[in-house]
Amino acid sequence: MPEPAPTRVARVDDSGVHLTSAQDTVVDTLFDGRRIWSFWTLRDTRPGDAGQVAEWPPALRRFLEGTTQLSVVEHVSGHVLFDEEVTLGSSADRIAVVDSSGRPLGIDKSNRITTTFDTRDRDQTAPLLDSTEQVLSALLEAGVDAFPVYGTLLGAIREQDFIGHDSDVDLGYVSRHKHPLDVIRESYRLQRYLRERGYSIDRYSAAAFKVEVLEADGAVRGLDVFGGYFLNGRLYLMGEIGTPFEEDWVFPLGTCTFAGRTLPAPARPEKLLEATYGPNWKVPDPAFHFATPRTTYRRLNGWFRGTRVNREIWDGRYRQLRENLPARRPSALARHVFKAEGTMARLVDVGAGRGADPLWFASKGVPALALDYSRGAANAVQRQADEEGLDLEVGWMNLLELRSVLAQGARVARLPGPPTLLANHLIDATDQRGLEALTRFARMTLRAGGRMYADFETLRPGERPAPPGPRTATRPKNAERVLQTLRDSGAVIVHTTQVPTSDHTEGEGSERPVVRLVAEWRK
Amino acid sequence: MAEVTREGAGGPGSKPGLKARAVERMARAVAGERLDALQRRLEDLEAEVQECRQLNIRLAEVVDLVEELLLPIAAQDEGKIAAAVEKYNRTI
Repeated sequence: MPEPAPTRVARVDDSGVHLTSAQDTVVDTLFDGRRIWSFWTLRDTRPGDAGQVAEWPPALRRFLEGTTQLSVVEHVSGHVLFDEEVTLGSSADRIAVVDSSGRPLGIDKSNRITTTFDTRDRDQTAPLLDSTEQVLSALLEAGVDAFPVYGTLLGAIREQDFIGHDSDVDLGYVSRHKHPLDVIRESYRLQRYLRERGYSIDRYSAAAFKVEVLEADGAVRGLDVFGGYFLNGRLYLMGEIGTPFEEDWVFPLGTCTFAGRTLPAPARPEKLLEATYGPNWKVPDPAFHFATPRTTYRRLNGWFRGTRVNREIWDGRYRQLRENLPARRPSALARHVFKAEGTMARLVDVGAGRGADPLWFASKGVPALALDYSRGAANAVQRQADEEGLDLEVGWMNLLELRSVLAQGARVARLPGPPTLLANHLIDATDQRGLEALTRFARMTLRAGGRMYADFETLRPGERPAPPGPRTATRPKNAERVLQTLRDSGAVIVHTTQVPTSDHTEGEGSERPVVRLVAEWRK
Repeated sequence: MAEVTREGAGGPGSKPGLKARAVERMARAVAGERLDALQRRLEDLEAEVQECRQLNIRLAEVVDLVEELLLPIAAQDEGKIAAAVEKYNRTI
């Protein structure tokens, strides 16, 4: 059989790496000798004028201004395909792919820009290893035998060390429970156990969460913990695995060596690695993509997911802003509520975002509670309120997690005086499940009096709802359907009106019609 | 690995290949409307299966909450009830 033509790189320019390749090969792109990005020569390219072109990942583009010694190297063989001084953009500077503190960044396998392990030395990874051992030990105390999974297990078994192009530590455990309901309850119990010991937890799904660990150098590090369980001879492990598997390939746990530490491991780690990365798991692939079967997605989605709709969008928006105080300009709805209600026992802003409205109410002497599912979004407002001695509390509630709605509802119902609920562009930012959860919260908290005020964008007459886009945080709603959902939950609609375009507290305004409604639940 | 949040019901989609399209055309010529009806029924069944799966989270949430709050409520201790509600909110 003739050898396939080797991969040849013709040039590298502002659009990407131009090459010809007959065989899919994984290659690294190095800037001044440091790996920045890896891609497959067929899978990740499109036809270009000189054969194929691998376009720069969007996350990398903002760095591509200046000159660098650019090399393209076959990852497995180390064969150099290209090595030249290249100038990109119009700057004469040296290209520096670093964060604001000067730490080197690279593109991980999900095309995100992050600090990968190949740029960190032993001193820098030691705190992460300490955190890993600490969380493994806390999980063991909590009653599950956790061990490294995904890239961390791959590194431990293949290289006894971090994988250079990896960027985080992943832990997992296999529950002894055999029913998804019990697996979920166990995951909640683990979360509670870790929270009580001071860890911050951010939940990905009903069976996976991130544990935030404060490291010795002051940095906060997130370690992912993936739950799994056996069902009918198959191992299901969040977030990608659903495969025939023997229980004695997991239990009793053995050990592995990872960067000089001894950590727990499944009894047959190679079996789990094969289930995760396929039979070629021993061959390094810095641009690996999971090919998870549709049936596995559907099972994991159906059992465990659905509680984080649009979280990435809101978290992304607030990440840059949450430590900065928002302008002290109340929303149109907040001004309306203050005028209509006068004295209020308490203002509860559901979907408060950065908390500009609750801060404004608190500064006017109204005790305020700011609730949102994006953690930390109102950090700056909380600090400011504390400094000024204002009666403002920031709490967490996720309309897509029933337990949080029930628990927060029970809590607010116990506070003195009937609350006034504010939902400023919340209804158009959530789905039907979220709307129904909002009505549940309102029914619980307004039983003894008080009103809910809401503004939301509506569809124009005859307009059909647009399909959700990947970056669309709000979608206009059918006003009649919203009102019917409220009525179905026992609401009395006191007032509805169409208002001129009202401002969003967060995000950009729009020219859409906005409905303002006032409702009571006294049944 | 970072957990990817796949909230949609489906998975990664792909366009059917030449062979699949030829099979589809042939099946359509033979089965016609019945094929459409079966496809619709399959979609309905898949949706129903997901609805059943999604009950796990709802029920687990309720059981978790009841378990954590029922004991202080059964003890009829107002202070313990308030503390249990506060703690539940703090640790989720």
